[in-house]
Amino acid sequence: MTRRAGPVMAGRVALALSLAAASPAPARGRRAPAMAEDGHLEASSEGSGWLSSWLPAWCPTSLPHLKEAEEKILKCITSTYSKQYVFISNGNKIWTLTFSQDLSYKTPLVLLHGFGGGVGLWALNFEELCENRTVYAFDLLGFGRSSRPQFDTDAEEAENQFVEAVEEWRQEVGLDRMILLGHNLGGFLAAAYSLKYPSRVKHLILVEPWGFPERPDNAEQERPIPIWIKALGAMLSPFNPLAGLRLAGPFGLSLVQRLRPDFKRKYSSMFDDNTVTEYIYHCNVQSPSGETAFKNMTVPYGWAKRPMLQRIAHMHQDIPITVIYGARSCIDGNSGSTIQSLRPNSYVKTIAILGAGHYVYADQPEDFNQKVKEICDSVH
Amino acid sequence: MFDRERGWSVSFAGCGFLGVYHIGAATCLQERAPHLIRDARKIFGASAGALAGAVLVGGGSLAEACADVLGLAKEARKRSLGPLHPSFNVIKIIRDGLFKNLPENTHQLSAGKLCISLTRVSDGKNVLVSNFNSKEEIVQALICSSFVPIYCGLIPPSFRGVRYVDGGISDNLPQYESKNTITISPFSGECDICPKGNSANFHEMNVTNTSIQFSLGNIYRLTQALFPPEPKVLGEICEQGYSDALRFLKENDILNYSVYVDLSLKKNPQELIEDTDFTNKKTIPQRKGTEEMLKTKMLNNQLKLNTWPLDERIFEHLPPRLRKALQEACKEKSGFYAQLSKLLPMRVMSYLILPYTLPVESAYSVALRLVDWFPDIPDDFQWMQGQLRRIVSTVYSRARNKLLSTSSKESYASLRKCQTVPPNVEFHSPYCHSKVPHSAADLEGWLWDFPYCRDSAGKEISVGIKGLSDSDSHHIFFMNSEESGLETDFDSSSDKSFRTTSED
Repeated sequence: MTRRAGPVMAGRVALALSLAAASPAPARGRRAPAMAEDGHLEASSEGSGWLSSWLPAWCPTSLPHLKEAEEKILKCITSTYSKQYVFISNGNKIWTLTFSQDLSYKTPLVLLHGFGGGVGLWALNFEELCENRTVYAFDLLGFGRSSRPQFDTDAEEAENQFVEAVEEWRQEVGLDRMILLGHNLGGFLAAAYSLKYPSRVKHLILVEPWGFPERPDNAEQERPIPIWIKALGAMLSPFNPLAGLRLAGPFGLSLVQRLRPDFKRKYSSMFDDNTVTEYIYHCNVQSPSGETAFKNMTVPYGWAKRPMLQRIAHMHQDIPITVIYGARSCIDGNSGSTIQSLRPNSYVKTIAILGAGHYVYADQPEDFNQKVKEICDSVH
Repeated sequence: MFDRERGWSVSFAGCGFLGVYHIGAATCLQERAPHLIRDARKIFGASAGALAGAVLVGGGSLAEACADVLGLAKEARKRSLGPLHPSFNVIKIIRDGLFKNLPENTHQLSAGKLCISLTRVSDGKNVLVSNFNSKEEIVQALICSSFVPIYCGLIPPSFRGVRYVDGGISDNLPQYESKNTITISPFSGECDICPKGNSANFHEMNVTNTSIQFSLGNIYRLTQALFPPEPKVLGEICEQGYSDALRFLKENDILNYSVYVDLSLKKNPQELIEDTDFTNKKTIPQRKGTEEMLKTKMLNNQLKLNTWPLDERIFEHLPPRLRKALQEACKEKSGFYAQLSKLLPMRVMSYLILPYTLPVESAYSVALRLVDWFPDIPDDFQWMQGQLRRIVSTVYSRARNKLLSTSSKESYASLRKCQTVPPNVEFHSPYCHSKVPHSAADLEGWLWDFPYCRDSAGKEISVGIKGLSDSDSHHIFFMNSEESGLETDFDSSSDKSFRTTSED
């Protein structure tokens, strides 16, 4: 890439943020070397007790594993970036990637990943999206390499914790206003954040957002399903969505590879091996914190307890919303038109991306990047 | 919406008895947007999807195919062990149905268009077949693509002399990743035409390209794929295929009204009125605002939800011919014996006497199958012999390899002291890494590649030696040393044995 900002610039940013004890990592391969990284902070293990000390023995994972998997992904990114922890209240820290461009007058773009994801999943998007504006991506509280605190069991309170974490992160990083892009759970949280802090959001981009429609009342009528299948569903519903993955222990990784070979294919332009599947595995087998919070925010099967469509009408009129969905996804693309009808005086646009499923940004990265750049360019 | 210049394809997922969904969807595409099929570059299909695709482009009748599938399902349900009963010969029924349904020139109609996904037995790789010389070839390819191992039989069928099994094992939804492929699958998941489940769950699994959402509905559908439900339920699935395809066409604005009216003129007047009413209902909302459209959409959804429990109204959306086929198939047998056999005591009785009737019935069906099998016996026996020989020789050669490698290691150690022998790796890497997964399924394929790999290994060795070429004496020394003599001897002998197996 020709627009490499160079080590001086990135170093300056790291210094300006100066949030973590920056120990310059050794230059790896062809990438520009400068980044702030605190290796030693991760070593402090969180949570103890017989269960957590026993668990790693069963599941071959740990934070260093996750770090390694993430680094393998980020190694392939040619743009200059810095990575660091951003410290927020209650001793929590948010793992943040910053692709900074020297264009401070342009509103930065902030990416919120979805359930079970992390910053690494945007690997196919960073380079294009950061071409002419600063891009931030961070692991949501309770996911990826961020802290994994105990969330409140109440859906509203848990949602609030997520939103407050985003707000505190924004304050720490020192952003005034931002373009907020959220995928899946990130979309839900981005909308919730925009409801609470409208002055901070210049444009809201919802990519395959989760939790917008209400659970239909007539769900039972649709089709008679045998009792034994219903019983199976009822038996599994008290568990975390990914409990099976943790239960599988040493077989978990091959389980992910077996059940989701599509991830490998989605990212095949970047990695030939199982890098992404490993990353996803290590993201999700850690102690479930965000996952539990998500579970508490849902009603079976997968519906939101506090659906966003009920509240979106209260959102500040001036916040433009763009909904991007994959034409093949099982999440209903109608949310966009419903939002439009609920906000008659505001800008709402729906974009369908052909040939893409739920992971739009990985299924059709070129189209997705193109669309997002267009949206961003419409913002000053 | 679909790029005219680059063209598009249609891909049908494999799904066993849920193939009626494809028939519903294909009927909708054929009637409402015929250009979508006519101008498509390719029609892909695996297993049941290939059957639907073949009927669609090969000039068969979809209504008849639907009746065939329902008949097959009824046949499967008739027996006390369902489709697992030995006298249920699914392949034969499919073959007969295809021969009856497809016209004689079907290979010309579907030339270059129909792509059937097959799984090669020898190496487990996926093969897409698209050119056929005769109707028999098409039918044979379809049989291969539908052959679920063990469920359908033990000896895989062959196509052009190569053994194949169910395409769904290697690629259940060919060309899935392409943006210009319209994917059709009866499992709710990430497809263009698929049932939209009532679950907001975004967790899914991906089985050889078919994405299957984790939902109760899908678990139920998976159980139905090989163990068919009642004809009425299959009829509902067919209707759902039709309405899902219709929704897809509406959402992408590719409903072809003019052609549709042409088609409906051919039908009798009463149905014409019904149908035009139907189209009016669909066209009005498109002209009105988005709000209105949303409302009607919701209404339509509710209507659809309400129709499930009501038998008569289920099929009203379907074109008359398909409707008729479904209704006829759903008709219960009204005979006295049929009524009697449905009673609980009779059913219990039939299970109780199963241990006695089963041997007789199996013997009878085995005899029938033997008669059917007769022309293929020499071929199949040869194939089985080949398989057996290969397995034996694999075991033998591996055992020998193990034994020899321990002895040759020592020899290398002694030789390396002279610093002339290329490192161990160069000798072993070509054939050790020729196929990484040494699973049982891959065993034969691994062996197939052996002679070639041996050759290439030999080449590499010679290249390596040339590369070394400090002096010719090294070369001679190496070739003449006793240990390497042993090695080459082993090479040639095993080469021969592999050649013989690979010839047949």
